[in-house]
Amino acid sequence: MRTDLSPRLRVALYGLMCVLLIPFVFPTWWMITSSVKPISDIFAFPPDLWPRRFDFSTYQRVFELQPFARQYWNSAYIAAIVTAGTMVVSSMAGYAFARIKFPFSNAIFMIVLLGLLIPSEVTIVPLFQMFLGWGMINTHWPLILVPIFGAPSVFATFVMRQFFIALPGELEEAARVDGLGRFKIFWTIALPLAKPALGAVAIFTFLHSWNLYLEPIVFLSSTQMFTLPQALTQFTDAYGGAMWNIQLAAATMTAIPVLLVFIVAQKQFVEGLAHTGLKG
Amino acid sequence: MAPVSLHSVKKAYGEVQILHGIDVDIADGEFIVLVGPSGCGKSTLLRMIAGLETITKGDIRIGDRVVNDLEPKDRDIAMVFQNYALYPHMTVATNMGFSLEHRGASKAEIAERVKWAADILDLSHLLDRYPRQLSGGQRQRVAMGRAIVRNPQVFLFDEPLSNLDAKLRVVMRGEIKALHHRLGVTTVYVTHDQIEAMTMADRIVVMHAGKVEQIGAPLELYDRPANLFVAGFIGSPAMNILGGTIAGAEFKAAGVTLPLPAGVTATGAASYGIRPEHFQLSPQGLPAVVSLVEPMGSETQVTMTLGEHVVTGVFRERVAARPGETIHILPDLAAVHLFDATTGQRIN
Repeated sequence: MRTDLSPRLRVALYGLMCVLLIPFVFPTWWMITSSVKPISDIFAFPPDLWPRRFDFSTYQRVFELQPFARQYWNSAYIAAIVTAGTMVVSSMAGYAFARIKFPFSNAIFMIVLLGLLIPSEVTIVPLFQMFLGWGMINTHWPLILVPIFGAPSVFATFVMRQFFIALPGELEEAARVDGLGRFKIFWTIALPLAKPALGAVAIFTFLHSWNLYLEPIVFLSSTQMFTLPQALTQFTDAYGGAMWNIQLAAATMTAIPVLLVFIVAQKQFVEGLAHTGLKG
Repeated sequence: MAPVSLHSVKKAYGEVQILHGIDVDIADGEFIVLVGPSGCGKSTLLRMIAGLETITKGDIRIGDRVVNDLEPKDRDIAMVFQNYALYPHMTVATNMGFSLEHRGASKAEIAERVKWAADILDLSHLLDRYPRQLSGGQRQRVAMGRAIVRNPQVFLFDEPLSNLDAKLRVVMRGEIKALHHRLGVTTVYVTHDQIEAMTMADRIVVMHAGKVEQIGAPLELYDRPANLFVAGFIGSPAMNILGGTIAGAEFKAAGVTLPLPAGVTATGAASYGIRPEHFQLSPQGLPAVVSLVEPMGSETQVTMTLGEHVVTGVFRERVAARPGETIHILPDLAAVHLFDATTGQRIN
């Protein structure tokens, strides 16, 4: 996009952006470089921005100390199912709240939105009791069902509803004249047009599921079942001290899909939120 | 093709009555235009024919079927929307064939019908494009193509030209009319533009505040408006309406006395209507003070004060008068319209 900023203002803006980048880029840089340093170099003073010695054996050690591949798979498949499930549930619920007239729809939507106000720490104990009763503790079901049908999908439903509200009513009317019923209108007209919003929902749902920490440590107890955020806490020595370089190697591998997803899909993400009117 | 009949059709949203009992019979193959100011209920009536709005009371028949409770898809109608309502994620060809696809037509049949419609509307070279890649006029034609491809019994148009510029509107007006001549399908067309109504319709239904004010051929409405509303709505520039009193063979308005046609028997308070082109320049005429002269080339439009009334005249002659000068005008008595002052109904 072309702007008519003066050179001085442009320099100032770029300078400000560089300063703002520091808190985001520096920890990532520190994580990646420290993951290939011997542990003694991590705490060297003054700190080295570029490793003096490279030790790539840390990445091998990650897989020796934990069933890391299995944990990686756990996180990946749970995030994939949660993402797909949330897209289905939130798009249908969002469409219903936006386009179907039914009694008390606004009131019900408000009640659904209240789910956003309740912290997960409040509901975690009742959820534990419920899943304990269903025999689902130390399984992945709680990590799949709660995000798809619980509070985490409320935000996704809100995003989808805001998108569908903006969809021109004439498109649906034309589809009705063309012979489509409600579900076909949703499936063949509304949903394909909702790709930007669906993309945004997919990205933040995936990230949310990938980064989930509280729920796994409550519901899972065996290392074979762990997800990545929980697994990262397990790289400790015999005395409980953190094995920083190995932990940071694991963290780097954990962060890669997140970074890739966001780099590839950031345009879609921004567009999706812009369509929903959530952009500032 | 099928006739359409509206019998005592009413529409209410809760306590608010939108349509107050509409009776219209549309003949098979007729091109009828619903016209009226914004909020008069014309689009609501069209949507009720389409099945997009429920009917509070009355009957709507398409052919020999009462369609009150039928879904839009079961009414055998096709509709062109104000904003075209083309599916943005589908190509022109897919948009046009979409309804056939959902009615179980074979691919060969869909391709044949789409080609037929595209040939008629000169869209053949655009079939692979998306709506966003088309101009306003092309989108309009695709919307029409989508309507004709299915060969419905009735076409419904909801202000289809209102998003086009003036020049393109004239072109598309001609295309829609030509299409109607070619296909002969019963057409109900909604517009608030009385020029569109006059130039396209076999008959016009003038609506106001949820009621039908008059139904008739365009020139019938122009020449013999049934009431003050129709007189003021049809025609551009609008008819001059002067309030006053009928006294014998004269009409006394504020500051001016106008001649009346022979045979007027009514007396008392009335409104005197005369169209701008029915004033003539005449040295024996009534004095009028010019306030604005607008030369159009083929004619000249003059705004002037006649007595205490501001009136408009349209003259074939070039009028050289300047604002503030006085010209003399005479109404064509054969073209004078008289309306009851209380009811607004025509009395001559």
